[in-house]
Amino acid sequence: MALPVSADAAPDAPARAVTAGHFVRLKLRVMGNSFRGQGRRIAMFIGGVLLGLWFAVSGFFLFAAPGLAGDGQYAVLVAAAGGGLLVLAWLLLPLVFFGVDETLDPARFALLPLSRRTLVTGLFAAALISVPALAVLVASFGLVLTAGALGGWTAGLVAVVGVVGGVLLCVATSRAVTSAFATMLRSRRVRDLAAVLLAVTAALLGPLQVFGLAALREADWDRLAGVATVLGWTPLGAPWTAGIDVAQGRVWAAPVKLLITVASLGVLLAWWSRSLESAMVGAVSAGKAPVQRGATGGAVSQLFPRIAGWARRDRFGTLVAREARYWWRDARRRANLITIAVVGIFVPVMVNLGGSGFASTAGEGFTTGTGGSSPVLVTISMLFVGVLAAVTLANQFGFDGSAYAANVVAGVPGRVELRARMTAFSLYVLPMLAIVAVVLSVLLGRPEWIGLTAGSLAATYGAGLAVNSFVSVLGAYSLPETSNPFAMNSGAGMAKGLLTILSMVISAVVAVPMVVAAALLGDAWLWLALPVGIAYGLGTALLGAYLAGDVLDRRQPELLATVTPRR
Amino acid sequence: MTVEHSALALRGLAKRFDGTIAVAGVDLDVPAGSFYGLLGPNGAGKTTTLSMAVGLLRPDAGSAWVLGHDVWQDPLTAKRLLGVMPDGVRLFDRLTGAELLAYNGLLRGMDPAVVDQRAAELLDVLALGDAGRTLVVDYSAGMKKKIGLACALLHGPRLLVLDEPFEAVDPVSAALIRDILTRYAAGGGTVVFSSHVMEVVERLCSHVAILAGGTIKRFGTLDEVRGERSLEQVFVEVVGGRTATGEELSWLSQ
Repeated sequence: MALPVSADAAPDAPARAVTAGHFVRLKLRVMGNSFRGQGRRIAMFIGGVLLGLWFAVSGFFLFAAPGLAGDGQYAVLVAAAGGGLLVLAWLLLPLVFFGVDETLDPARFALLPLSRRTLVTGLFAAALISVPALAVLVASFGLVLTAGALGGWTAGLVAVVGVVGGVLLCVATSRAVTSAFATMLRSRRVRDLAAVLLAVTAALLGPLQVFGLAALREADWDRLAGVATVLGWTPLGAPWTAGIDVAQGRVWAAPVKLLITVASLGVLLAWWSRSLESAMVGAVSAGKAPVQRGATGGAVSQLFPRIAGWARRDRFGTLVAREARYWWRDARRRANLITIAVVGIFVPVMVNLGGSGFASTAGEGFTTGTGGSSPVLVTISMLFVGVLAAVTLANQFGFDGSAYAANVVAGVPGRVELRARMTAFSLYVLPMLAIVAVVLSVLLGRPEWIGLTAGSLAATYGAGLAVNSFVSVLGAYSLPETSNPFAMNSGAGMAKGLLTILSMVISAVVAVPMVVAAALLGDAWLWLALPVGIAYGLGTALLGAYLAGDVLDRRQPELLATVTPRR
Repeated sequence: MTVEHSALALRGLAKRFDGTIAVAGVDLDVPAGSFYGLLGPNGAGKTTTLSMAVGLLRPDAGSAWVLGHDVWQDPLTAKRLLGVMPDGVRLFDRLTGAELLAYNGLLRGMDPAVVDQRAAELLDVLALGDAGRTLVVDYSAGMKKKIGLACALLHGPRLLVLDEPFEAVDPVSAALIRDILTRYAAGGGTVVFSSHVMEVVERLCSHVAILAGGTIKRFGTLDEVRGERSLEQVFVEVVGGRTATGEELSWLSQ
């Protein structure tokens, strides 16, 4: 039967309006269902809850300390600095380490007749239902206690409003920023711009550190209090300090600060809502790519990128070539490479140069004209960079997802597989690490330390590769098949965080001999570090691939099952 | 018939997911040179069975042999003889069609010159040459099926296992895939594929098996299974379908 198409065929108004509550219930239901029969996920989740609880309680007492002490002098300092750090953490950590929980993938709502406002408030409400958000909420109630103790119940009440606004601000920041970056990284045109922006964002780590070190150096609490007062008028600190202001008699400041909070929240949500739309449409179709012609040569020579052109045309070389292409073409992997590049440069520079400032001002201790840094300090900062670079491979099979089936069907030996993956990743990372080593030695004014920095990097990076071979085979988890490179499955953010920390700690332990040698061997080590470091790194990496390859051979189908997203 | 003489032999394959039984003991013999259709409704366990048969999913019980080689005891030999196109599995889709073929060929230890030649031929025959440098992720669904088939064929396997090769494929591409498979079988290869499209199965297959509820309900040559009736009638009877009476869903006609 043909339906008459006429003007009055407009659909009836829905019987009931969709509210944020629906989204929250949906998220809880999806989370609950994803735990069904998944013992490991439940364990991860409980681990996450405990960690969150620990954070919440310790944060609570830090924030409550001025109130419990009955001393209002540093209340603003604690509120502004602590709260500001929280917002910054929510801004940076999802980008660099944890990703965002995308239990409710916005793309799934593309076909539903929902207004953008409904969708954004709904997804926002759902995003609030997470362990980190609740932990931050509990922790920041310490500020309520402080405000209440110092200024009575009105101040406490204002603090409640401010603190809730602050938590909302944290969550909105993480959503808006990751979503915006995801959109940019997806688009073929502004991809490189996004890379630069991400770099700049991560570079915020640097000034932060300088600020922290300056604080330690000056130990001038009055001046810090001044900085905190200023910080309190920015979106970073406004929500957290409103209650304290009332307690200290600046009643007029509270409404202004709450207004700042609400305004920033509005801007962030509007920003998020814009990139959300492109995420919804983008996941359905990333747009028709222009048909590019001009393929030259046979299929084999097309597969091998220039960076892997040296490789033999055998199994190992083929895997290297494909992985090398993937590190460049896959947005998720490229985001990781960018992170390594940025953090790799900034952290050691800040630690060592910041350390020098610290030491020279202190005017005593270990400064003997070496610019404040020491071989041990340099080695330790290199250890961090090397380990951080290698930890990117902790879920290397998760990047592939179900596509890994091709390798299982072809029966690739585990050792070849792991060695090839290490090699392809190193094609990009080793040049970066070399640059880090050179730049750091030059900036320190100690060019003769190049051997030390490069050797430490090589050793720790190799140790990290070895450890992460095991982690990637035994602790793999699936990543959602969305186009958002920061998206995580529910509960997987926790898994990722724990695995990252675990693998970094073990890698660092494996690389400790380098630090010990730097401490004990003195000047001779400056010359020995490079050859020994390279040999140590290469040796551990190959040993790791050899041993973990055996494990991989035994559990290829199981690995495939764990990295295949459930649908 | 023994496991040595079959192109694919399954014995008591079983798999259980989170307490639900997906496959409850499948026995199957696929004679060499046959064109075998594995029929079943959605959720019958076709994909699970085929995944266990080719070494992608470890069975809880039972075993699988490819041309006499145990898939789970001697995987390397078995996998050399086997070409697989899984369903619902991504390809390495950030590669172009040609790159993907080169990857799969070299991964199986083929000579680069042979890979180049066969890849060019396959791309040409499957009408994928026009795609040029387009990444597989930007291919249409039908093109993805075709490049998947090309990957499975590239190393000249003796047994081809295809999961839903005609799903989401337009008639032109489907005819092309049918032609290629028919030629492959005529040349002495064995094809096993799953489907729920009766018309394709009746047209192509020499043998069929009907899988429902995790077990094989009927199997044999096409004529043995369908007898005097159409394959669809047999299928619906075996599976146990339900027809709408017209009373329910009355609101559909306004």
